[in-house]
Formats: sequence, C-alpha cells, structure tokens
Amino acid sequence: MPERNYDMVKKALNCPVTRRQVLKSLVAAGVLVAVPGGLMRAATSSDKINYDEIFYEGPYETFRNACPRNCYDTCSIVTYVKDGAVQFVEGAPESTFTDGGLCVKGNSYWNTTYSPDRVKYPMLQESRGSGNWKRISWDEALDRIAKKILEIKDKDGSLLGLALSKYSGNFGITNYGVEGMMSSLGYTTRFVGTPCWPAGIDAQNYDMGNMWCNDPEDFAKSKYIILWGVNPAWCSVHSMKYLFDAQDKGAKVLAIDPVFTQTSAKADEYWQVKTGEDGALALGMARHLLDKNMVDREFVNTHSVGFNEFEEYLKNEITVEWAAEKSGIPAAVIASTAEEFATAKPATIWIGYGLQRHVNGGVTVRSIDALVAMTGNVGKEGGGARYGHLQTWGFNYHALVQKQPKGSKGFSGTTGPKGEFAPELEETKFSDRTLNINKTARGLLEADNPPIRMLWVSCKNPVSQDFDLNLMKKAFKKPEMVVVVEKFFTQTAELADILLPVTTNLEEWTVNASYWHYWLGLNEQAVKPLYESKSNIEIAAALSQKMNELSPGSCTFPTEIDTKEWMIKEFNKGIYDLFGLKSWEDLKKGPHKAKLTSTAAWHDHKFATPSGKYEFLSELAAKHGHNALPKYKANRKPYAPLRLLTPHSKFNIHSQFQNLDWMHDFNPEPYVYVHPKTAADKGIAEGDRVLVFSKVGEVKVKAKLTDNVPRDALLMYEAWYNKNNFNVQNVVDDESSDMGKYKTGAPGVAIHDQFADVKKA
Amino acid sequence: MKKQIAFFVDTRRCIGCFTCAMACKNQYHQPSGVKWRDVHPMSEEIYPHRECAHLTLACNHCEKPTCLEVCPVVAYYKRDEDGVVVHEQEKCIGCGNCIRSCPYGAPKYNPALKKAEKCSFCWQRLDADREPACVQACPTRALQMVDLSNFDEPDTVQYIAGFPRFTKLNPSIRFRPPRQPLEIRRK
Repeated sequence: MPERNYDMVKKALNCPVTRRQVLKSLVAAGVLVAVPGGLMRAATSSDKINYDEIFYEGPYETFRNACPRNCYDTCSIVTYVKDGAVQFVEGAPESTFTDGGLCVKGNSYWNTTYSPDRVKYPMLQESRGSGNWKRISWDEALDRIAKKILEIKDKDGSLLGLALSKYSGNFGITNYGVEGMMSSLGYTTRFVGTPCWPAGIDAQNYDMGNMWCNDPEDFAKSKYIILWGVNPAWCSVHSMKYLFDAQDKGAKVLAIDPVFTQTSAKADEYWQVKTGEDGALALGMARHLLDKNMVDREFVNTHSVGFNEFEEYLKNEITVEWAAEKSGIPAAVIASTAEEFATAKPATIWIGYGLQRHVNGGVTVRSIDALVAMTGNVGKEGGGARYGHLQTWGFNYHALVQKQPKGSKGFSGTTGPKGEFAPELEETKFSDRTLNINKTARGLLEADNPPIRMLWVSCKNPVSQDFDLNLMKKAFKKPEMVVVVEKFFTQTAELADILLPVTTNLEEWTVNASYWHYWLGLNEQAVKPLYESKSNIEIAAALSQKMNELSPGSCTFPTEIDTKEWMIKEFNKGIYDLFGLKSWEDLKKGPHKAKLTSTAAWHDHKFATPSGKYEFLSELAAKHGHNALPKYKANRKPYAPLRLLTPHSKFNIHSQFQNLDWMHDFNPEPYVYVHPKTAADKGIAEGDRVLVFSKVGEVKVKAKLTDNVPRDALLMYEAWYNKNNFNVQNVVDDESSDMGKYKTGAPGVAIHDQFADVKKA
Repeated sequence: MKKQIAFFVDTRRCIGCFTCAMACKNQYHQPSGVKWRDVHPMSEEIYPHRECAHLTLACNHCEKPTCLEVCPVVAYYKRDEDGVVVHEQEKCIGCGNCIRSCPYGAPKYNPALKKAEKCSFCWQRLDADREPACVQACPTRALQMVDLSNFDEPDTVQYIAGFPRFTKLNPSIRFRPPRQPLEIRRK
C-alpha cells in the first residue's frame, strides 16, 4: 500500500468520526481491497456509495463465520459483505442452536474488526511498559525475534528458555499452529493446564471415564432441571430457549447459586447456597434418597461400582441436617427437593464451571455426578450430569503437530505438555518443559536452568486475566524479550517489547467446534486482513522464513502457507462421518450437527472408566491422591471478612469485547456489588467510591447495593475496560483447586475461594 | 383495525442480554453514544431483584406520533401499509423538536451528522422480507414483531409498570410482565 494511503487510514481511524465515515474512508483509501467475485467492481465505484445511510440493502455477498471465543455457545455466523467491507453479521439460521441470533458480543464483531483501537502494524516498545511505541516493519520485528531465539539456543543449548503463554482467546482449530510453531523451533517451555474447568474434567473422568454431556437441545425433554452454579442467561444465552421450552411443558427449574443471577430470576425456585458448600448439599440430598429408598437400584447394581461403599459413607458420615447446616438450605427443603428430583424422569443437572473453581471443586462435581447417577439419570435423554464435552473435536491438529528441528535438545523426564484439547503425543527422548498455567507469574519468576529468557503470548491476556496482578507485573519484567500477538493494546501488550497485529475471526480461515452443543461451523475469510495483520499460522510461517534465512534448518514450520489449505488439512474421515459431510465444502452451505444416535451422553451405559462402569468409588482418583469416594472436603479457610466473587459479565468474554466503544455504550463502567446491610455496616452508600482490598492488592471502584449478593460476599465482574485501570486480578491469588492435573496437566485455580474487605475510598 | 406492526416484549423470557440493542448497532453503526434501542432494568420497586428484569425499548411507532406533529420540515411520515413511523434524515434540519417532544425519548441526536435519527423498525429489512435486526437477534424470542390488528397473546399489557402512559399517542407496543421464583435464602 502506498504511504499516502497509510496516512489516509490513520486519519480515518484516529479522528473522532462516525463509524459510517470510517467505512467510507476505508473504501476511499483502498484498504478494503477486493474479495472474490463482483465486489471488485463495487469497490472501485466507491464514490457512489453513501455510507451516511447504512441500512439493509441487498444484495450482499455472504460468508460463513464462527465465533471462536471460549464460550458454550460457539455461534455460527453469517457475515454480510459489500464493497469489500463487512456490513453486518447475523446468527446462522441453519443451526437450531444459534437459531439465527448472536449475543451482545457476537453482534459487535463489526466494531472489533473496524475498531480504531486495533493494533495495525508490528510495533516496538523502546522500554517495556513505557508506552514509547514505534512502528516497525514485519521484517524488522521478525529479525529481532529470530535473532533472540538463535541467541538463546546458542547460550543454553536448547530453547527451554523460550516460553509460550496461550489459552482460549481464539479457539479456531488452526490457531493451535502457535503451539506448532513452538515445536517447530525446538523443545520449549509451555504453560499447561487451564484456568477454566479442569477440576470438573478430572471429576467426570474419575466417575465416567470422560467428560461428555447430553445435547443441550434435549433440555426440552427434561422434567426437572437443576442449574447448579451456572448462569446461562449471561454465559450461554442460546441455551435459555430450551430451558423456557422445558418450563412451558411443565418441567421445574431450580437454580442453585450463591448469587441471585439473571438465570435465578428465570427459574421456578432459587436456592442461595453458601459459597463452596455445594458438595455438602449434594451429599445431603443423596443421603435422603437412601433413607427414602429412592435409589435407582437397577442402575447402580448393573452399571456402577462402589455404590455400597458410597452408601456406607453417606450413612455413617452424612445427615440432611448436617448438609443444611453447611449449605444454609433448610433440611426440609433439601429432603423434599431430593424426592422431587428422584421422582421426575428424566431429571438433569447442569454443573457450572464456577462451582469447581474452589479448593474442593473437583470433589463437588463428583458429588453432584453421584446424585445424578444414583437417581438413574445418567445416560438418559433429557437427563445427565452436564458439564461439557469434546466429542466433536476430533480434528487432525495438523497445525499443532510439528516436528522439532533435528538435534533439538529439550527437557528429559516427563512426556510433554497436556491440554484438554490436545491429542496425546508420542513419547520421545526429550520433551517440552511444562509449567502450571495458573501460576504463570511464579513460573516466569522461578523457572531456572535455564530461566525463561523469552516469552511468546498469543490468544491470551495474562496481565489482565491471570491471578495476582502485582506478582504478574513483576514477573513480566524478568524475560529478556516479550512478544505479544494481539488485536488491541491490552494490559499484556503494554508489557511487550514487540507487538504483532493479529487478524480477527472475520479475516482468517479456520473451523470451530463447541464444548457444549454438537454443531460444527466453518470460518471463512470474509474480508482480507486489515492493515498489516496476520493470522497466527501466517505469523508462524513468516517467523520460520526468517529463522531459516538466518540459520538454515532452525525451524521446521513451512515458510509459505495457504491458510485455507491449512483449514482443510484439519478435516478427516472421522469428522466427515460424524457430521455427515462429503467434504468440508458442505459447511459453506451452513453449520452441520453431529449425527447422534441419542441425545444422551453414555446412552449405552458403557463407561470409559477402568471398570467400564460408573465409578462411585474410583481407585484412579485414590491413586492420584484424592479420596476414592466423593467425600466431603472442607472449603478454603477465610483470610478476610468477606468472600470475593469475580464471575463473568454478560458484556465480555474475559478481556475481550468490553473495550469496544459499542460495548461502552451499554456498559460504561465497573462496579462492586455489596449487600445493603454489609454496606450499611461499612458506611457505604449507593454510588460511593470504595476500596476493595485483600492480602494481594486493592481495587478502587464504585459500589452498587443489592441483595442479589449474599451478606458475606462482594462481587465484581472480571473485565478489561481499556479506558479504566479496574482489574479484579489485583485482589485475587493463585490458590489451586483440588483437581485438574490428571487430564489437563495442572490443577485448576480456586478463583472463587477468595476473600477481601471493603471500605469507603 | 388497520395493520399496525408493534414490538412485543415478553419480559418472562427476556434475559436482559442487550443482544437486541447491539444488533441495532450491528445493522446501523450508529456513532458512540447514539442508541436507537436500549435495555432498561426495571426499578427495584417494580421487580425486587436488581437488574434481573428489563424492558427493551426503541421507537414505539405510535398511532399518533408526536415527532411527526412537531417536525417543521415534515421529515416524518407513517407508513400506510404497516404503521411504521419513518424519519427521513435527508430532510431533517436537526432542530431537535422531535427529540424534545417524544415522551418516550425515541428520536436521538446524532452529533456527527447534526441531525435526529431513530428506530426505523428496519423497514428496509421488512421490505426485503426479513425481521427487524433486533427481533431476528433475540436469543429467547422475548422480543417479537406482532401485528396489533390480530394480536391476542394472553397475559399482556400495553402499559407495563415503569413504562410511561401516554394514551393519546397510543404507542404500538405490548408487554408480558415478569415472574419471580420462589426463594430459599440463607438466614
């Protein structure tokens, strides 16, 4: 692009103009280069386009996209393109799950893509954290990066000093090419595990041998639904219609949550459970069912092991009164609800990810699984202990699986990184060094021999989203070089030396599956990458080219790739058969749903445990240092007067979306939510600026008073506001949850076992 | 009765997710601060749980629109075929009469264009046989487009608590009031 065009773009994007003028300027500047077909003609006659009046006016060229965020719903998108620019997006009508509509976040993808705040070019920060950025060329950026990698290899004899921090910022399958890029350089250091759901994954693996949930579209078949620690009205809006449909057909919906959520308001009944005592509640219900002889003996005798031991434990150590005392829910209510749940056929529990982010989170999930199993609801359509699944993720992981260069030295000892989405890798002489993703700050500070000299961050925003921000900021000072691949100038980007602009999901080819529903969606390149942005795999290819230029053979990643071809390489016969596809191109006509023999997980009662049965008693769990039975485990001991909850907001997925000006229109600032009586005790009034503080740090924020939160808790929604330094990670630590190491390589994080206090600022 | 299309807001199914309001921005790219549709939490006097019941509101496409009456340059007209109140922005002189007069606050000032603008009921989409962007986007079918000439949904009202009562305008909107769950709370 000629220099004058850059100036025009800069002018267009940095001036306070209307969004419509942005589009007009982009067309004029030739930024919106032609996409296939007749759009070329339209783009060249841009002087006739009146962008001051944007309204629906066909015909549009449409593209298939998918929302790649870490979200239950993984929506299928139709992108409407005209004159080489995205005009608007809609939910794909072919998916009965997405059902033609997106959410508040998905509807802002135009704003994401054309945001004036995007990282547009490779940038160099003169001194980390100084804000003294200058634009550099891709060649210079890659030259600096490649030379640093070669220097590390020269110094240490391995690349273990190069670490990767990546998680769920973009779940498009080809983005596993970032891990592939690391492997193609050598054996490196990986932050493994997940901050999201690992304790529950392990729990379901001990109980059933895998994490596998019913098709959420079969909620409508349920007669009794418990939404346990889950807020789909905010975090899975497309599931709500099935819950409403079930209610319309007479099903009862019970929401159990420490917080009165939007989902609670839609339920028939709400229980304000004491935070972290969900396991006690489930065990109390189980005990009552024993007393009433309401156990599904046919299921437990035929399809399970260890029920006698579980029964003995319940009889000896659990009473309904004890459960009431622990959970705060009256014994009579626990008893009558247990009976209703056991009587309704089918009945189901949706187990949220929040309730396993505790030091007793894994065993809590096991207790709830047990309640569903002993009532005979596992393996039933409309039943099930629903947590998540990876049944539709059987891709080739072609981008992920790359060979180390010949002669690479690595870590000897373990078998390399694990991840819930990654396939098992072959054991080799050397492996990557693995560090706990949930203790990234400590890993950066403490890893030695060699220390972490260089950090590569992609699809993750650890400085905004990881725990104990003060420690993280300290840790980010340590590496000799930090490279961040980003769309926006996030808090992590602020601590980069080199910042590389990445594409949005509307600018790249990939394919997306869900860990909740059973639809598969194609993600086409609807528009060419804006500015100088590249997709993760294009960045890997460009780096490989530079590496091989400087040191032939130092990187095995292909130096030229076609991103569409790489998307195609992810498909295989298994995927085609599962979804009834002749070719990936069938997905151009719309998303496809897996051909399920039943909507129920474990419908044949053939469990994947060592015994092949449902394991109330898991020897594997015992081998891993847990109780073999789902025995009650005490919660974390409080270290401050109030509990601190930092769950998800409806306006963002972690640090994505809240920074957009469209989102700011609807949610301009953060708050801490305080119970009116707690506020009165502290002399805090509605709207006061307050200080939330803990042993870790502090946050200044305005207060809203509501009895939606319990009296003994404070609540702040985690988010990244780009114009506000609010960050809940200032006041939470990185305490581990009980489970997660078995299937994801590291325990989870007890992010809801946190404590703080509040006072007027 | 003549055909009059209207928004029907089923607050039993509404989850206050703001999808409708953002879908409007997705379709029309209004500049920052300009919102044709917004989602308003009901006050706690009306629904006792803060920010857990909502009214999604845009232009009500009234039977007797004030905006149309006060516009000095006749930039408004009401479509005969479906009752949609249309604002012709190219005629608008930005005097602000409509903005000051509409008791529902539907017309908005666009500071970049120095003109008024408001919800069009997506009449261009309607003419192309599509639902309005907000209705199409609603994930729970809580926001619907209905024809008041044959609207007979049970348990619905025109003036829900918290929604101003201007009977002379006869706003084309209907609501179904929200429900509350049975609550078991800790002592």
